Parts: sequence; C-alpha cells; structure tokens
Amino acid sequence: MNNAGVINRRENSRGLRIAHLYPELLNLYGDSGNILVLRKRLEWRHFACNVREVFVGEKADLSKTDIVFIGGGSDRDQKIVCEKLLEQQGELASFVEDGGVLLAVCGGYQLLGHSYSMGDEEVRGLSLVDFYTDRGSPRLIGNIGVQSRIAREPIVGFENHGGRTYLGAGVDSLGSVLFGWGNDGKSGQEGCLYKNVIGTYVHGPLLPKNPGVADYLLLRAMERRYGVTELEPLDDEVELAANRAIFARGQ
Amino acid sequence: MSVTGSLAAAAGRAVHAVLHGVLRRDASQLPGRVCLAIDPQAVSHLRRKVQQGSVVVCGTNGKTTTTNLVAATLEASGKRVLCNRAGANMLAGVTSALLARGKADWAVLEVDELSCAHVLPQLEPTYLVLLNLFRDQLDRTGEIDHVQDVLVESLASSPNTVLVVCGDDPLSWAVALRAKESGTQVLSFGVRDGMDIVRDRVPEARFCQTCGEELTYASHAYAQLGDYRCPSCGFARPRLDFFATEVRVGATGIRLTVTRDVFARPWQVALRSSLSGAYMAYNLTAVAAISQLVGIAEQSLQQVVEAVNPHNGRQERFVAKKRNVLLNLAKNPTGMNQNIALLLGDQRQKAVFVVVNDNPNDGRDVSWIWDVDFELLAGRRDVGCVMCGGLRSHDLLVRLKYAGVGASFANGVSDALNQTTMLPVDCVLYVLTNYSALVPAEEELRRLAESNE
Repeated sequence: MNNAGVINRRENSRGLRIAHLYPELLNLYGDSGNILVLRKRLEWRHFACNVREVFVGEKADLSKTDIVFIGGGSDRDQKIVCEKLLEQQGELASFVEDGGVLLAVCGGYQLLGHSYSMGDEEVRGLSLVDFYTDRGSPRLIGNIGVQSRIAREPIVGFENHGGRTYLGAGVDSLGSVLFGWGNDGKSGQEGCLYKNVIGTYVHGPLLPKNPGVADYLLLRAMERRYGVTELEPLDDEVELAANRAIFARGQ
Repeated sequence: MSVTGSLAAAAGRAVHAVLHGVLRRDASQLPGRVCLAIDPQAVSHLRRKVQQGSVVVCGTNGKTTTTNLVAATLEASGKRVLCNRAGANMLAGVTSALLARGKADWAVLEVDELSCAHVLPQLEPTYLVLLNLFRDQLDRTGEIDHVQDVLVESLASSPNTVLVVCGDDPLSWAVALRAKESGTQVLSFGVRDGMDIVRDRVPEARFCQTCGEELTYASHAYAQLGDYRCPSCGFARPRLDFFATEVRVGATGIRLTVTRDVFARPWQVALRSSLSGAYMAYNLTAVAAISQLVGIAEQSLQQVVEAVNPHNGRQERFVAKKRNVLLNLAKNPTGMNQNIALLLGDQRQKAVFVVVNDNPNDGRDVSWIWDVDFELLAGRRDVGCVMCGGLRSHDLLVRLKYAGVGASFANGVSDALNQTTMLPVDCVLYVLTNYSALVPAEEELRRLAESNE
C-alpha cells in the first residue's frame, strides 16, 4: 500500500470515535466509503478508529463521540430518521455548539436545517444550522466541482438532489461552485460550513477523492479532543489524480 | 391493423432494411422509434401477430441471459419466436423486435423495469418474470420504491398477465403482494436449499417491506435473497411454486434440480450449465418455470441450458494471447459482488481487470463501487494482479487502495493481458465491465482470439 511505509513518531493510544447514524436507512450512494476513508486515514497514521453504527431505536452517546456522520436516504427513510433525530435535537445542538465534528451528505444535509419539503409537506428539521430547503424541479444531477477554503484542491464529486437549499445570511457555504449546480442551482454556492459542521450535496462518495476534506474533519476532531494542531501528511497521489480527472472533465 | 398501424410498421421495417441490410448498422432501436413516431400504440397492434403468447422478463440483474434462454428453449421445441436478444429493452427496442416480418408463436422480451409502464398496457403479456430488484443507476431509475410502484401500476394495467416472481427476494415479493391485491395471478420461484457460497453484504432491504421491522433469515443466497421472515408482521418468503434444490455452484458451471410444487402431478427437471454463480441458479429456475408453464419438453430445456454458449459478454469465455479469459457484465454492487464470489471460487490463479464507465447508459454516478466488497481480493495469493480501466479507472484505483488491494491501470483488454505475462500460463484473466464497456471489451477479445497471437 502507498502509505504502509509512513513512520509515525507519535505515541499512539490516541484515536477517534465516529458515530454513523442510521446506516440501515441512510446508506445511498456508497456512503460507507466516507466512513472507510476516515478510518483508513486514521489507521495509516497509527491512530485508533472506533466506528459505532447507531441503528434506529438506539441513541448515540454524543459525549463519547468525536465525529458524527449522517448520509443520504430515500424520502421515506429520511423522514423516519428525522423523527428519531428530533428526539435528540438538544444533545445534537450542544455537540455542534461545542465544536463537535459533523458531516452530513445529501438527505442528511437537508435534515440539519430548519425545514425541508417532502412532496407538498414541509418537514421540520433539526435547526442545527440556519438554512431551509425547498423542493424544486428538475432534479440537479451531475458532476460538481467546488472551491472551498477548507481544502487546497477543489472538492469534486457527484450531486443528485431535488431540494433547493437556501442559507441564512450569517451562514458560510462550503465553497463556490466551479461547475455543476450546488445548493440551489443559482446562488453559485454549495453546502454549508458552520463551526465544525459540514453539510453538502457532494457525494460520489465525498471523501475518497477529496482527501483534504477528510483530513480537515480529522484534524478538527483531533484538535478538539487532544489539542493536536497538525496531521502527518499521507501519500495522496492516487486520490488527487482521481480528483484532477473529474476536475478536468468538469471544466 | 389500422391504416396508421400498417404504415407505421412498414416505415419501421423500411428503416430496418436500410440500417441492417444496406448500412450493416445496429437496427435494434431506430426502426421501433420511427414506427412509434407514426403510431404510438404500435405494440398493441403488433402483438396480434404473435399467436400463442408473450413473456416479458424484467429485474435488475439477469434479464438478457434469462430472456435469451427462454427464447432458445421455445425455438428448440419448434416455435417461431420474436426476441430483443441484444438487450434493447425500452419501448423502442421492444417495438423493433416485434416488427420482424411474418407471424410468430411467441414473443420473448426483456423490458427495463421502468419501461414496463409503457410496454405492459400495450403488450398485455401472458407472463411477466420479475427476477430481482437491486440498487442500480440511482441517477436514472431513482430509488427502488419508485421502481416497485411502477411495476405494481404496470401489472394493474395488464390484468391477465401472470406474474412469475422471485419469492426469495423481499423487494420483488413485496411487488407481488401488492399486485395480488389488485387481482394479478402470482407464481413464485426460488432456491429452497441454502447454497454454500461466500456471503456478501446485504445492501438494501434489511427491513420488512410491510412494517419496517428488521427481517430475520433462516438462510441467505446472495444480497437480500434468501429465506426471510419478518418477526413482527408475518411478511415472509412464500411457499415457492417452483423451487431449486441440490444446487451446486462451481467455477466451471452449475447444477440444480427444479421442481414445480403441484400436488397432483409433480414436475421436475435436472439442469446443468457452464454458466455459474448463485444468481444463475435463480435465472435458470426462472427459465425452467416458464418452460413448464408454456409446455416445453424437459429434454429441450435441458439441451438448451447445457449447450448455452453466450456470445453477449455474459460469462463469455475466450482464449486470447494464449490465456483463458472470462468476460462478464458487472454493473451494480450486487452484480460485482457475485462476480467476485465467482472468481474467488475458481481454484486457478487469476488476474482481474475491472472496467467502469460513466456514460449515460451506465449511470453517471459511480459511487456504487464503494458498496462492492473489493476487500475480499486483498491479501489473496491466488489473485496475481488487479487492474482498472474505463472512464472512471481513477475512482476504481482509489477504491482498491482503500480496500487494501494494490492495482494498476490498463488501457483495454490487450494491455491488461500484456500486464499478465509474468503470471503462470494457467492463470485466468477475469474481465469485469459495466454496461457501455462490455461491447468494446468483447470486440477486442474476439479480435485477439481470432488473431490467435
């Protein structure tokens, strides 16, 4: 493996705890790839990685969680998840306000806002971040590139969403759309960035071709838990070549 | 047939004659399109020339193989058959297949799941075979819920169609239960005894289709197929009307016995084929079920299944550059996982060349490769070399890196073969491609096999 030879000079009983929320319902689009990338990039640096899958009926213990991941699902499953998450809204809000790291993709992203539309119904969201999502037509589908301040390389991936997401005045987007649609197809902005929360429509999955985003999330979590301020670099040649390939096609 | 209908059919045939006869081009779509432009109800007119009945095959994986086998068994018993063998499975492709001159006894047609909405009300087939439902091309077909709804509505539009459905698949069986409510006659098929094969992930349908409880399984076949039951509401695999037993899945083929569960006159047939894989057990059981229903002699069925030698890139074997090559289609996680199970069951040394494109007919979203258990290839001494190709070869290389599998790029099958020259002579190359990469790989392999380099 490319990174097998990385020598780590840190002592290493340290590691991160990831909570993957409702993977049985929110598992569209190879979301498991995001978790795998976080895990491997910790292991290659000789950190431990403990992934807990939180199933419907269970509760995530956020006091023992460093990174929360919420994926995308079908409308029906998304609504079930939202009802479950609303029961823990208070804990989730404290986790976010305390700098907890949260990554939410596609449907999971929409849940973070005040509301989203399902058919003609307006469903209440978690209000963790100041935005809301309307339904629009047509679906916004295709490759996407985003320039973001959190990663050196453009973020690339695939988007496929009917929702149009409108950010509140004080909320930063994840970045500016270089090609593709983004939040609403018009604003030129994609995703949201609030404290250590990233919400985005970019999947494909998100992290494998965007190692900069993966490391951003890992570093924020290591910082919060251990005060670590930098991560050992990895050999990302394969990942970045894949990133460049999509970028070149999108331009 | 009306004047418009005759004119439409004549126009379609003229296009076919020019394309196929003069230009030597693929004529599987355009004749149907021209015909439909003049007469949108062409299928309902054309079906009258099919005298005994028609069989539609749908489902995510296995349509082309099953369709071709059903057509071949009918032909082997002396029937005249219309069939879209090349797999043009939307309304235009179906129309093109029905345009062929003269009358026929049977039409055997593979139909894309969503196209059933257009084909079924016009064709009103005698049988609809539903093989399975897996996640596939989300950007095109949407979620599985939607596909299920379309199938239920399609069946409602063709009330005399008998649904022959895989009872081992909770997603397909849920469609059958809903169709039953609106009066559709349903027959189920499946594999009764468990199969001894590598377990893969259950990517979808872990939950009851009726009440949402987690399903429990007495035995698993592959993906979500098996002997399932909901502990809370009673949703469960049905008592199977057609079932396979004594299933032996090997690297070089499959054997099984298919029985129709009727009290008065039991029907049974033992089959063997060089096509293999757990999924092939289901395809062959479906073929046997249709053969029994339309009254084909067991012997004809056995001969066709045994002699099958696909020339369509489905488990197609070649010898190229002095190496055995097996080409197969793998266009979604379940298909790729089944291919991995198949190659790991092969005792020989192997090399693997995976090709993924993202053309519109493939689905432009390739994130499904992260739902494939490529991890099973890691650390295997019998897997000598793994290569990636296609428009999304970079994505594959990243996926394999995170699976712990070292891999390289190969630019086509010939290059892949060149990269295996250091491997033993008996090492077999598995070429696994998604949809649009299949024909180019097949053509390249055929050229190499013929040039006998």
